[in-house]
Amino acid sequence: MNEARQEETIPSPGELIRLIEAVARERDRNAFKRLFTYFAPRVKSFLLRSGLADPLAEDVTQEVMIAIWHKASYFDPRQAGVSTWVFTIARNQRIDRLRRMRSRPGDILVDPSDRPDVSPSSEDIAIVEEREEGVRKALSSLPTEQATIVRLSFFAEKPHAEIARELGIPLGTVKSRVRLALNRLRTLLDND
Amino acid sequence: MRINHHPSDETLARFAAGTLSAGPALVVSVHLEGCPVCRDRLGRFEAVGGAMLDDMPPAPLAADLFGRTMERLAIAQPSPARRPFTRRQSALGFELPKAMRDCEIGPWRWLGPGFRWSKVRIAGSPDAKVMLLKGRAGLHLPAHGHSGREFMQILSGSLSDERGRYVPGDLDEADDDVDHRPVVGREADCICLAALEGDTRLHGLLGRLLRPLVGF
Ligand SMILES: [Zn+2]
Repeated sequence: MNEARQEETIPSPGELIRLIEAVARERDRNAFKRLFTYFAPRVKSFLLRSGLADPLAEDVTQEVMIAIWHKASYFDPRQAGVSTWVFTIARNQRIDRLRRMRSRPGDILVDPSDRPDVSPSSEDIAIVEEREEGVRKALSSLPTEQATIVRLSFFAEKPHAEIARELGIPLGTVKSRVRLALNRLRTLLDND
Repeated sequence: MRINHHPSDETLARFAAGTLSAGPALVVSVHLEGCPVCRDRLGRFEAVGGAMLDDMPPAPLAADLFGRTMERLAIAQPSPARRPFTRRQSALGFELPKAMRDCEIGPWRWLGPGFRWSKVRIAGSPDAKVMLLKGRAGLHLPAHGHSGREFMQILSGSLSDERGRYVPGDLDEADDDVDHRPVVGREADCICLAALEGDTRLHGLLGRLLRPLVGF
């Protein structure tokens, strides 16, 4: 296997589904390695941005990849794309780790993946792919500043004061801009 | 019953991103359990997260990370099935939503005539300000405002204030610009799950009542 070549090819959404299914059905290590090569650096990047320091971010990244291996058979392509599914796993592992670090001995922890089950729908894969494609389009058609605000405020746990500093706008303005950016995103999401 | 009040876009986006604090996240989880509309909205915000993950610039990894992960895989068993429930939960006389099954639930305590509260503790988030409230049918709650956001999900009965009527399944987000004087519907007692965000404080008589008892 040529690792450099693997780095360069970004798997398509359909290919990601096939890789997950290979891991689920056959415990296919090559498929897992491809998923690892694609997702681990991005998951780590997400974790760093959401405030975990480096050794911890890499450790949680490992846990996310291990969870992907174990939970592959629960992936349902009628509910979400692979990247979205991996995102929710990374999000949950991050919450779980932060709670474990704060919890008292003897605490039994809420498994964040036990957030309410999305009831199985009759939507097929094509509909999900279309929806995810719509979300991508919506994101890319947001004006740069609004996209930045959405990213900073919702995916980096940044206090509004910090966003204000980073963008060089008054604190009072941030709150209304966050609302505006989300409204716009919401309108775009509803139109897909 | 028809749900008329849902969490805001901002709240759902933060829930999807995992940045909503534990107390409000619990209230939103209870809402999602009963609201297919918001489960669909949440799916869209999670897809935004998926798209952002795809766009992340890859971070450098330790060279042997894949090898070490495979070693951990060889010894790690799939996480064991959920252990039988061991949390202390007082019997409050109604069935708790599934999302609350891992919370510690205190007994009903007196807060005022016809007014009871029960402390809800979330594992790993000891500072979360969450409680169940129960008001007698027809009870007028003291007027209050907040210095931050209050999240409230109606579990049974109903509640009305200047802004509308809230029935089981409804989630109300009261911002710091809301001053309200909720009244319990005459048809039945009302039970709701309430969480205050971060350093939110209640003003008015309700705040003065709750602060020494609840600690916030
Ligand atoms: Zn809803």
